[in-house]
Parts: sequence; C-alpha cells; structure tokens
Amino acid sequence: MITGTGIVKTFKQRGNVLDKREVRALRGVDFSIPKGGAASFIGESGCGKTTLGRIIAGLETHDEGEIVIDDVAMSSLKPKARQPYFRRIQMIHQDPYSALNPTRTIFQTLQAPLRLRARQTGRDGKWIDERASEVLSLVGLDPGSVLGRYPHQLSGGMRQRVVIARALTVDPEMLVADEAVSMIDVSLRLGILALLKDLRERLGVAVLFITHDVATARYIGDDGDLYVIYRGQVIEHGKVDTVISDPVHPYTQSLLSAIPVLHGLEQPGTQPVVPLSGLDESLSDGGCLFARRCPFHTERCTSELPALGRSEGVPQEHACFYPERRDVVARPMSGV
Amino acid sequence: MSKQAPGVRIDGLTVTYNNLPAVRNVSLELPPGTITGIVGESGSGKSTLALSLLNAVQPPGRIAAGSVEIDEIGNVVEFAAEQIRRVRGSQIGYVFQAAQNSLNPLKTVGKQLLDLGRSHGVEDLRGLVRDAKDLLGRMGLDGARVLDSHQHELSGGMRQRVGIMLALVLNAHLVVLDEPTTALDMITQSTILKIIREVHEERGLTTLVITHDIGVVAEVADRLAVMYGGRLVEQGPTREVLASPQHPYTRGLIRAIPRLTGDIDEAQALPGRPPTLATVPAEGCVFRERCPLRMDVCDTVDPAAEAYGTRIVACHAVKVKEHA
Repeated sequence: MITGTGIVKTFKQRGNVLDKREVRALRGVDFSIPKGGAASFIGESGCGKTTLGRIIAGLETHDEGEIVIDDVAMSSLKPKARQPYFRRIQMIHQDPYSALNPTRTIFQTLQAPLRLRARQTGRDGKWIDERASEVLSLVGLDPGSVLGRYPHQLSGGMRQRVVIARALTVDPEMLVADEAVSMIDVSLRLGILALLKDLRERLGVAVLFITHDVATARYIGDDGDLYVIYRGQVIEHGKVDTVISDPVHPYTQSLLSAIPVLHGLEQPGTQPVVPLSGLDESLSDGGCLFARRCPFHTERCTSELPALGRSEGVPQEHACFYPERRDVVARPMSGV
Repeated sequence: MSKQAPGVRIDGLTVTYNNLPAVRNVSLELPPGTITGIVGESGSGKSTLALSLLNAVQPPGRIAAGSVEIDEIGNVVEFAAEQIRRVRGSQIGYVFQAAQNSLNPLKTVGKQLLDLGRSHGVEDLRGLVRDAKDLLGRMGLDGARVLDSHQHELSGGMRQRVGIMLALVLNAHLVVLDEPTTALDMITQSTILKIIREVHEERGLTTLVITHDIGVVAEVADRLAVMYGGRLVEQGPTREVLASPQHPYTRGLIRAIPRLTGDIDEAQALPGRPPTLATVPAEGCVFRERCPLRMDVCDTVDPAAEAYGTRIVACHAVKVKEHA
C-alpha cells in the first residue's frame, strides 16, 4: 500500500536572477494505491502528473507532504534507508527505444539487476538464467528467441515488454507506467495494457498509470482509481468508470469532449464542453485554477479556491462549486 | 488570384529504398475540395507516400514507378529540381511531422516567413506579413506577437499553427499535413483539428492528412485510406469504412482502439507485429502473417485493389466473399 498526503512540489525557474519565478508543479496532492491495485493520473502535459509519478518512484524530492510505503513514512528514514522501499517501485518510461542499452543483448540487460538480486538472496548463476527466462515468459515473450538479441532487432512493443520484464526482476510492489504505450504502434497498444492488467492479476503487482489518453486508463483494470490533475491539483477523483462515464468537473468534461469521435461507430455526446481559452500557466489570482477557461464560472470561482471533496449525490470526489453531470462522452451507436 | 482546389491522382506509385519497396503500387485519388486521411502504423509507408506528392523522397529513396498527377501542375514525378521547388510552398503546402522542431530556433517566425517569401520571389512582402497575421488571427493567435517570437517561446499547439500558416500563406491549395497532432494534448489536438477543418473549408483546399491515429481521421477526413506494409489495403468514405471495415487489417485496427465506453473485452490487440522494410514479404499479401482469414492464395499472390461500391479493398478473402 502506497499513500501520499499533501504532496507539494515547487520548481524554481532558472535564469532570471532578479525575478525568481516559481512553478507550482504540485499543490497538495493526496492519493492512495492499495496493494495490487490500479490507479491512473490523467491530465495535460505540464499538469504535474509525471512529477508526481517520479516522486512516488523516489526519483524526485518533494517540498511538503508525506509518502507512506507499507505503513512506513519515508520522511522518518534517512535517504539511504529509503532505497529498499523505492526499489520496489519500478518506473516504465514512455520511450522503449531509449530505455534499453543498444550495445547489450536482452540477456545482459536482465542479468545486471538479477545478479544484484542473486547476491541479496544468496542464489547462484543458474538461478539468474532461469529467472531471466521466467520474467520474459511473464511478459509474453519467447525467451529462446529474445534473450540473445539486441534491442534494435525488436519491435517497439517487444522492447516495451523487455523494459517491463527488467522491472519485474526485482519483484516490484508497483509499476509506474508513464505514458507507457504512447510510442507503441496502435495495433499493439492494447497488448501492453492487457499485459499490465494481467501482471496485476497474476503477480499482485500494483500499477500506477500516467497518461493524457483517458481511454487507455480503463484497460489496466476497471476497479482502479482515476485522478484527474489540473495545474498541480487533483480536481476529480473516483473509480475509473464513474469518472469517465459521469464526470462532474468541467475540466474533466472538456478533456473527455476533446477525444476524437469515431463517426460511423460512435455518437458524440450532446453537451460537449470546450474551454474558453488555451492553457495559461501564468494566471494565478486566487480562485479556481480552471475558472478563466471554464464556460460555467461565476464570481465565486474567481475569488475562492474549491477544495477536493464530496457533495451530495455525486459518488466521486471533485473540486468544483457547481458539479453537474453533462453528456460529453461518445457512445457506441446502437446496432453497430 | 483565385485558384481552385486541385484534384490529385496517384497511379501505380512505387517508391523504393535500396530496391526495397516502401510504397508498392499505390493508386489513390484525392477529389478536389476533400480531406483525405491516410492511416498507418510505423513503417507502413504513409510518410513516404506523402513526400511523393512533393517529389521530395530523399535518397536512397526514389520513385521507381507510377505517377502523381496534380490538376494545373502536372505529373510532379517527372519534374526537375528547380521546377518542383517553385511548386512546393506556393502551390503545395506541407506541414511537417515534427512541426514542433521544424522551425529554425535562431530566427523569429517573422524572419522565416520573409525567407519563405523571398525564396519564392514574392514582391509584396508587406502583403505577405499581413496575410500571415490574418491566418494566425484566424487560428486564434495574436499574429504580431507570434511573428516576433522564436520557436521556444511558443507552445506545441502554437508551433503547429505556425506550421499550418507557413504552409498556406503563399496561397497553396493542396495541403499535406503529416501527423498534425502527434505530441499534442487532447484539448489542443481537438482545437487544431477544428482549425484544419475550418481553414480547409474557408480557403477551398484539397487536404491530405497522414496519421497513425484513426481518431484524428474520424474527426476531420471525408475519405479514409488505410496503409499496411507499403500497400493501400482499403479506402472509402470515412464513416462507411469505420462502420463496416472490409479488410481484416482495418477491422483489427479499429478493434484495437481503446474506447471510453462499451465492453472492455471487445477491444483486442492485433497479434503479431507490423512489418519493417526488411521483413515485408516480397510476394503474396503483406498482411497474411497477422490475418485471421489467411488462405493458400495469400502466400503467393498479392491481392489487387478492387472496387466494391464506394470502397476499394485489396484482399483475397473479401473478393471471395463478394463473389460468393
């Protein structure tokens, strides 16, 4: 179980010495990912979703708040003592082309972490060979044909599977997949998503999925949680299917309205929400972060910041004074 | 200078890299005033096909056979270097795949605009700047500010719009957009697609959109063409192709799209992997390795593209079904 409370991260902009501007990447984010569970962080680029993922994987520090892994607060440990905890959270990066060393065969790539693991658990070289084959089988690759190959001999989908296999060598508690399918060929994407779901079911490994493509979040498990992040704040949070089929925050609604409709197969929603303007990070004058772009904003929205919470009749958490259901999602056409 | 949207007829086009065909015997018509979307995965030959429209395939690639006939311009495959240079930009606009990176980082957008004007012998540079500002304003940007900016001062969506402006400002009426929304956020993508559609209609263009994302084509294109392993396997009106795909690859591709609603288990990845230039079979159907309808004939005979009503499909199994 991994939880975070009140995570705040501020980046100081380099360059201008006199006018030091700060970028608020995360403004007090809470999350909780149960053992073997699934969670997705959704948002546009620059919303802080990747920063949050990196903080969770121990690759980035944060300024305020607490990360708790298996009931141990990370702030109570010295940096070195945190390592074994963060080692069990493995990152899967977006680009499988740059994530593998091109001069090493797949076996050599898998061997390095396995050797470390063998030393920790007092196992021998034979175990390393067996385990290398085993993790490749787990990700749906044929060890016999893949082990001796170099990354350039594999397709993007196969490389991403190798990256996942490498992450599995350390028996992780959780995989953090940051846009893990966006560079994979369309026909193979679902295969990677299905694999992540399958690993959850078979190995009990939790999956944190970070993406701007909302639809893919459903495919790692419909029991998962969805966090919609806007400018460093979670603005809607609930079960994946609840948030996707019944969003109440106008930002979530505009994200879903923006997804292309497969005309001929799908019927567009009848109440699409289009933001009034493009994203402007410089605007910060109290009030709701989305107010300036929100077609439904009122006076209150520009002066008061809505906190993430619940309201009557809405199953998910949201940060909006005026939560309202709108028909924004395309539905399959009947009879197709 | 009121020009008309030109029609384009690509006939039997084959483009090879070191004698390996990246595009093989492709015939495709772009009717005047329409938006056609070409969908394909990496290595399908879609970008090579698009470059052929400008006769801009880079060596070792070369157009080995076929023609690209554009109304009022001619068969660009036969054009000499200087002849085609004059046509590019002024009559055929091209928005490159990495519009994010295709601008010169050292020059302001305005300077690049003037370079473009001079290289095409535009005399009224003031008029050119005015047109550029109009176009940028039309796409929701502050023209004067953008022209004074370097590329790093613009967001991805703004750069993409600058790319579209540069492609259209010389009044080209045939526009090719290569992956116009890749690497853009959903909301920005939706804005850009809307702009493409509106500009297309207002200026009376013939537009070709190249993408790996069927959703993009579904949003903007009138006609959809699907490429696989260098072949055009299916083409037809977008809605019809989406509603009843005929080629097994088109069917598999549509089924592989993650969707927001509906049964999760209905979506399935295609087995196998797309071919590369080196692995694409020299004879027989390019898709047979991944095809659920594979027959003996598919191993030896490359299926010809045949018309079935409004649809053109290259598949033995579809042919058998249609004639049954």
